[in-house]
Amino acid sequence: MSARKIVLTSGKGGVGKTTTTANLGATLAKRGKRVILIDADIGLRNLDLVLGLEKRIVFDLVEVAEGRCHLRQALIKDKRFDSLSILPAAQTREKDAITPEQFAAIVDRAAEAADYVLIDSPAGIETGFRNAVAGASEAIVVTTPEVSAIRDADRVVGKIAAVGKPIRLIVNRLRPEMVRSGDMLSVDDVCSVLSIELLGVVPDDEEVIDTTNRGEPIVLNDANRLRVIYEKIARRLEGELVPFTSFDNQTFFGRLIGALKAG
Amino acid sequence: MHQFESVQVEPASSAAAAKLGRAIVLTSGKGGVGKTTTTANLGTALAARGARVVLIDADVGLRNLDILLGLESRVRYHLLDVLEERVTVDDALVADKHSEHLFLLAAAQAREKDEIETVKMQALVARLRERFDYVLIDSPAGIELGFKNAVAGADEAIVICTPEVAAVRDVDRVVGLLGNRFRPQLIVNRLRPQLVRKGKMLSVDDVNGILRLPLLGVIADEPEIIVTTNRGEPLALRAQTATGAAYHAIAARVAGEDVAAPMPPASKVSLLERLGSVLGGKRR
Repeated sequence: MSARKIVLTSGKGGVGKTTTTANLGATLAKRGKRVILIDADIGLRNLDLVLGLEKRIVFDLVEVAEGRCHLRQALIKDKRFDSLSILPAAQTREKDAITPEQFAAIVDRAAEAADYVLIDSPAGIETGFRNAVAGASEAIVVTTPEVSAIRDADRVVGKIAAVGKPIRLIVNRLRPEMVRSGDMLSVDDVCSVLSIELLGVVPDDEEVIDTTNRGEPIVLNDANRLRVIYEKIARRLEGELVPFTSFDNQTFFGRLIGALKAG
Repeated sequence: MHQFESVQVEPASSAAAAKLGRAIVLTSGKGGVGKTTTTANLGTALAARGARVVLIDADVGLRNLDILLGLESRVRYHLLDVLEERVTVDDALVADKHSEHLFLLAAAQAREKDEIETVKMQALVARLRERFDYVLIDSPAGIELGFKNAVAGADEAIVICTPEVAAVRDVDRVVGLLGNRFRPQLIVNRLRPQLVRKGKMLSVDDVNGILRLPLLGVIADEPEIIVTTNRGEPLALRAQTATGAAYHAIAARVAGEDVAAPMPPASKVSLLERLGSVLGGKRR
C-alpha cells in the first residue's frame, strides 16, 4: 500500500510549516509509521536544521530530480527514529530547478517505501508552492490567529481546493490568554473564515524557539504539553475521533495572572 | 543566480544630480519575521518626521500591508493596474489615515507574481523617487520572482532577522543574493531578552556575529504588536511606547541621524515573570 502524500502549506511565511512538519513527522514515526519528510523550499532549506541533521546532508532533492543520485542515497535517516528520514532541499539552486512533474515523481517514489510522505512547502504561492502541491494528494494548511495569516491561508485554500485536493487546518501559536482578553482571534473565528476541517490547535510555546534552534523537535520532550497535542493531531490524521483540547479552562496560575493583570 | 543578476540594474543613485528619494527594499528570505510590520512602522515613523513616504506592497497575491495600516477598505487600484497602465499612479496611491505624508501602493490580490514586468517595476520606483523622500518596498518571503522584482527598483536594502537559526541562515543567503550594491542594514526583530538571558535564544551579538551587517536597531517581541497589527494601527503611532520609540529611533538612523541603535532594555524582568518562576509556572 502506498503512503499518504500530504503537503503542509500556509501562504504566509513564518507561521510554523517547517516546525509542524518536523513535529508531526516525529510523532507519526514514534507511533511506528514509516515517514519521509521532503523539504520543498529550494534555496532556503531549514527542515534539516529543525531536525538537527544539517551536517549529514550529502545529496539533495534537485540532485535526485536530475538523476545524479538515487532517492535512497539522498534520504537522511533521523538520529532518533529509524523509521523517519528527510529529503533535503538544495541550498544553492532556484525553485525552478525542478518541475512539478519531476517533484511529483519523486514523491511517488518516496511513497513506495513509506506510510506518510510529508512535504514542507515554501512560503508564498509561486513555483515552489506549486511544486509542493503537485506532489501531494491532500493538504494541511497551517495558520496563526492573525488577520494577515488568515487572509493568506484563505488564498491558498482557494488554490488547493481548485485542484480538488482535501484540505485540513492546523491553527498554530494560539495564545489563549490573548484570546480571552479579546486581543487575538479565536479558533472559531479562524475556522469560520476558512471553513475547512480542523485538524488541530497548537498553543504558542516559547520552548519551541529553543528546541528548533537546537535541532530537536519539541515532541521529543515528554514533559512538554505540545507532545500530547501533536499526538492527537497524528491520531486524527489516522482517522480517529479525538476530542479537542480546550484552552478555555483557566488554570489556577492563569487566573492569578489574569487577576494581577487586571489589577 | 545568473537569473537574479539579470534583473539588477545600476542603482538610480547614479542620477544623483536630481534630488531623488531613497528606494529601500525590506526583505528577509524567511517569511513571518516581520517585514510587513517593519515596513508599516518604519514608514509611519519616517512620515512622522515630515518625510514624504510611499510604501509599495510587492507581495502580489498575498498582500497584507494594507491590513497593517488599516487601509484595506480604501484600496481601489493596485500595483499591477499601475504597471499595466490602466490607471495612473495617483489613482492608485492610498492616503494613510494618520499622516498626510504617507501613501500606500497596494499589491494585486488576485494576480500572480510573474505578471510583474521587472523593467516596469524599476521605472515605477524611479518615478516615485522623484516625488517622495522614501520609497519603501515590502518584499514577499522567499527568493523567487516576487523577491527579485521587489529588489529590482531599490538601491538600498534593510534585512529583517529574528533570533532563530533558520532565519539567520535565510538572511545570510539573501545578503549573498543581494550582492554588493544594496549596502544591506540589519534589524533584529522579535527579541525576547528574558530568553536570551536564560540562554534559550540567540543574542543580537550571536545573530550579527554571523551576519556582520550595520545594525539599525533591535525590536523586542511584544504581544502588543500582534494586537496593533490586527487592528491596523502601527505601534509607531504611539511614540511613547518602548516599541514605538524604537521604531522612531530606527527611522532617525535611516535618515542619517547619529542616534544609538535602539535595544530592548537589558533587564526588564517583570513582577509577573518573577512570580512565574517562583511558582514554577510558565508565563504563557
